Amino acid sequence: MTSGHVAAADSADHQTSVPEDPHFGKATGGKVGMWIFIAQDGMSFGGLLFAYGILRSSAVEWPVPSDILGIPLTAVATFLLICSSLSMVFAVQAAEERDQAGLVRWLIVTILGGLTFLGIQAWEYTHLVHDGIGFAQGSWEGEPINALFGSTFYSVTGFHGMHVTAGVIYLSCILRRAMQGKYTQGGDSSSPVELVGLFWHFVDLVWILVFTFVYLL
Amino acid sequence: MTDSTTTTDENAAQAGHGGHGEGEQSMRGLYITIFLTLGLLTVFEVYVPTVYSAAWSGTTKMLLLTFLAVTKAGLVATFFMHLKWEKPWLRWIALMPVYMGVALILIMLETLYR
Repeated sequence: MTSGHVAAADSADHQTSVPEDPHFGKATGGKVGMWIFIAQDGMSFGGLLFAYGILRSSAVEWPVPSDILGIPLTAVATFLLICSSLSMVFAVQAAEERDQAGLVRWLIVTILGGLTFLGIQAWEYTHLVHDGIGFAQGSWEGEPINALFGSTFYSVTGFHGMHVTAGVIYLSCILRRAMQGKYTQGGDSSSPVELVGLFWHFVDLVWILVFTFVYLL
Repeated sequence: MTDSTTTTDENAAQAGHGGHGEGEQSMRGLYITIFLTLGLLTVFEVYVPTVYSAAWSGTTKMLLLTFLAVTKAGLVATFFMHLKWEKPWLRWIALMPVYMGVALILIMLETLYR
């Protein structure tokens, strides 16, 4: 990316209110702030996965997760989040192209993806609790298992589920204003859509790691 | 390879700054390619534990799955979160949580070989 190219693209299209910064380029203050938030939120998830890794590697007995957790259904949920990440990038692109109808359509698809994911998680939790996997104690097919299995599982996936919930609420707020045409006025008006996109992709990224470390390993 | 990468970068720069036409089409194609790659890697991931289910293959399973997960996470951060087109400072901020992974590996190694 050359600066000449960017300058040409800018002047040919519209004015941009964010000046070129030597360290952050054309990134808005909001974007830098969102990345700092994501970095610290990533540390929070890191802390939970860290605790999970230590507890599991030092445990005398630990059940095989795939014996208890439904891998096929969770794989579908994982794919669903990846799909919603794709619809999110399309939403950001639509906002930058000032395509209000496209923006609204892709935001709705993204929200539906998040809601379906939450539905699957609620279904999964209900069945696990019913089958004996509690937060502080657990049994599987009548036999007691390491209680930390349930504790770590609900802590990590629950914290992620809260993020999906927050993301759906955040996306719904953005959708409302998108319907009023606030993000399709050109210039930096599309910036909030990019920010919600960053958060949403982060939630997807974390789930990719959670799915591997908590379900598959 | 170098030529096609440069073209994608330029198109992306154009798309990222409100250009129209070819740039958006190229970005859309790139996003779909990343999406399909993520889907394919997920299929591999689900398949790995069925192949390496024996106790002796535990380490292979762990390394393979970790590699696949980190690759997928990297693809999302690089392309969907646009880190490929950001300045180094923003990339450094994004890299901060990786510290947790490094610390976890160190502590797990210590536990395993005590």
